[in-house]
Amino acid sequence: MVTRSLVSVVDDDESVRESLPDLLREFGFAVQAFASAEQFLASDYVDRTRCLILDVAMPGMCGPDLQRELTLRRREIPIVFITAHGDETIRPRVLEQGAVECLLKPFSETALREALNAALSSC
Amino acid sequence: MESELRRVVDALPGLVWTALPNGHIDFLNQRWCEYTGLDVAEACGQGWQSAIHPEDLLEFVQRWRSTLVSCESGEIEARLQRFDGEYRWFLFRICPIADASGRVVKWCGINIDIEDRRRSEEAMPTRWWLRAPAREGHFCSIGDGIEAHVALVTPTGEIEIVNRRALEYFGATLEEQERRSIADTVHPNDLPNFIAAWRGAVETGRPYDVEGRHRRADGVYRWFHMRGSPLRDTEGRIVFWYLLHTDVDDRKQAEALLAGEKRLLEMVASGHSMSGILEALCQLVESTACGCHCSVVLVDPCGTRLEHGAGPSLPGTFIAFINGRPVNSDSGPCGMAACLNEQVIAADIPSETRWAEWCPTALAHGLQACWSTPIASTAGKVLGSFAIYYDGPRTPTTLEQSLIERFTHIASIAVERAQNDAALRRSEAFLAEAQRLSSTGSFLVDVEKHEITLSEELYRIFELDETVPLTRELIHSRFHPEEIPFAREVLERARAGDLVVVDKELRLQMPDGSIKYVHVAAHTTRDQNGRLERIGAVQDVTERRLSEEALAKVRSELAHVARVACLGALTASIGHEVNQPLSGIITNASTCLRMLAADPPNIDGARETARRTIRDGNRAADVITRLRALFSKKDVTTEPVDLNEATREVIALLRSELQRSRVILHAELADDLPPATGDRVQLQQVILNLLRNASEAMSGVDDRPRKLVIRTEREEDNRVRLTVQDAGVGLGPQGADKLFEAFYTTKSGGMGIGLFVSRSIIEGHHGRLWAAANDGPGATFSFSIPRASEGVTNTSPAPFRGLQ
Repeated sequence: MVTRSLVSVVDDDESVRESLPDLLREFGFAVQAFASAEQFLASDYVDRTRCLILDVAMPGMCGPDLQRELTLRRREIPIVFITAHGDETIRPRVLEQGAVECLLKPFSETALREALNAALSSC
Repeated sequence: MESELRRVVDALPGLVWTALPNGHIDFLNQRWCEYTGLDVAEACGQGWQSAIHPEDLLEFVQRWRSTLVSCESGEIEARLQRFDGEYRWFLFRICPIADASGRVVKWCGINIDIEDRRRSEEAMPTRWWLRAPAREGHFCSIGDGIEAHVALVTPTGEIEIVNRRALEYFGATLEEQERRSIADTVHPNDLPNFIAAWRGAVETGRPYDVEGRHRRADGVYRWFHMRGSPLRDTEGRIVFWYLLHTDVDDRKQAEALLAGEKRLLEMVASGHSMSGILEALCQLVESTACGCHCSVVLVDPCGTRLEHGAGPSLPGTFIAFINGRPVNSDSGPCGMAACLNEQVIAADIPSETRWAEWCPTALAHGLQACWSTPIASTAGKVLGSFAIYYDGPRTPTTLEQSLIERFTHIASIAVERAQNDAALRRSEAFLAEAQRLSSTGSFLVDVEKHEITLSEELYRIFELDETVPLTRELIHSRFHPEEIPFAREVLERARAGDLVVVDKELRLQMPDGSIKYVHVAAHTTRDQNGRLERIGAVQDVTERRLSEEALAKVRSELAHVARVACLGALTASIGHEVNQPLSGIITNASTCLRMLAADPPNIDGARETARRTIRDGNRAADVITRLRALFSKKDVTTEPVDLNEATREVIALLRSELQRSRVILHAELADDLPPATGDRVQLQQVILNLLRNASEAMSGVDDRPRKLVIRTEREEDNRVRLTVQDAGVGLGPQGADKLFEAFYTTKSGGMGIGLFVSRSIIEGHHGRLWAAANDGPGATFSFSIPRASEGVTNTSPAPFRGLQ
């Protein structure tokens, strides 16, 4: 039995937490969804997560905050940011901080797939 | 001889008698005895007295005695009883017979039967007329004593007798007068009337009564009241006409004067021109007082100069000379009279020492006397002078003074009336101008008689022709069809005695279809006679209304511009709101395809993802709908608005932006909040603006929570309030007022119209928007607007204050 790679999704939007995991499972990943950065950090999936799909804007700790926190904790999980804000300034910033990709919602299946591939091959 | 004489005496056709000097009857002839039925023995001495009528006896005896004493012949009238008892009138003629020494030795008398003559005399009320000469003198003294012309004329028109006054008047003797024809004495104009009256009287035997002028000896005609009454004999035949002519010239003059005055006053009342009235007044005076020239001069409005009023018979050059002369004592009689407010009499201009300039001019125009009297108003103000000129020196008589007084009074009425009319016209013109400038007309309706009076301006507003008679239908034809039921209702209620008060904006529709907006203020009252009247003012507010509409449009556009500006700023937030569900749609659709492509297909999973796709699609559509509602450009509406729901929608739009700005939003929306009245989109714009301002005010705050509280609550006085409280930088040193000015901004990217537009929107909702500093950090912005009336769906504030 092949152990599937775990992809964790952190997004405060419930519809994302519903829809994205299903698609990722169709891709063949194991998926775990979290409503906030704090929940994710508190869970025991941090170490097992092979790729983190992270929303930029959330109440409380936002996506980049979590990125910084993980860097501080030396958890080098490849991160694919997703954001619904059409703000182009956020993308170079998070990429500079080491993110694999920053997808602007709505994104295509292909774009997601490519980002995941890049993330998983990077480690 | 004696017996011979006796026979003769007895045969005389009269009653003959003799008496002794002491009056004792000593002889009566046979006819006497036959007439009375008394024999000589019975009648002699005092016995004859039994034949005298008892009523006549006393007077007879007295006269008989006085005749005896006088020793002169005399006459006595008395009734003597005939043998058959009937009394007949007799004239007793008595003559003394004296001897050589003149002593009366005998009286002889003859009794003449005058019964027939007496009868005809008795038919005449003035029997003393046709007396013997001695009596004629008596008549004349009475007839001449009468203040009238008296004459006795035969039915053929011959004068029998006429009194001295008449003869003196005509300047003729009786004989001359008898020879004159009627045409010589009666004014030609009155002659036909008089002749007709006389002929009619002679034909019918009825008295006549006519007025006419008689020519006096000096040629002057005077008015007489001429009356004639028939005098009849016992058979009823007209013997004479008794004429009585009374001089009524003074009365006629007074009547003519009165008629003239009446005519003048009628001219005043019917609004003739002042100059026309004064002209007529002068002419009346000139015709009343012959030989004079009359003039009226007026004091000019400044009170310093004389102005020509009237002077129909004065020379034009003299009028020109007077016109413009100063009102002072040196100017002339008229100037002096007006200046002193006293009558000025220049009775003899040739010897006059006053008015060095005026006198030679007057004399050069042949004027030698001038009586000038001030014309004063009822308030005592001198209006002008009334002057009478004569060609010769003359002083006013009492009669003339009274004429002057009367005509001066009439002149004052005419002038004052003319001045009042002019003042009234000015006032009316002023009112009409004011109505025109303010586009306000007025109306008066006699409710019972349906009589409608409109001011000139109201004719203009209604676009009605002033020459066309007004009817209710005509006026209603100018109302907008939707307003006619209201107009009818008001009229019906007014007619029912309801004192309806209206203060309302109405629409009129002109024949070309154009709409006018008018503000009508009217009420019903009762006039002095208790009649119902509707009085009102109608102001054409079309222009104001149109400019208000234009202003509202500009405001609405400004609000829209502000919203669009806001839209730009909100793009990120809106993008987030839309992208979120779009992302879900794509993800779910991708998943769905994959599930269907699997072998075997995951139908249940596909169904679930398709369901989610639809849900997210709806979510995106909702966002777009909200956006479209908020940012579309549409007319302002007024409807009940649930402020809580409106607030929630705005919060939904702003949620991600607030989140990104790390703003912690607390919404405290009152459960029992009644709906407000207004335009939902505009109110949401205000809420959006306040929330974004609050959020931006806290963008630099890191030392405390960026707490934002939005609160709705019910207020007293049927209002609702919305409050947005932040913990930001506060209002700053400029204070709250500056914030609401247009283009005032503290933000680098803002236009500075947000709060200005917000306040204008709230004020458009009859509300108030204000800012206050918090006790702690930050500021609080609030607005308060009227809630919707209960049970009413459309609460458009009606300008109609209603029927009271």
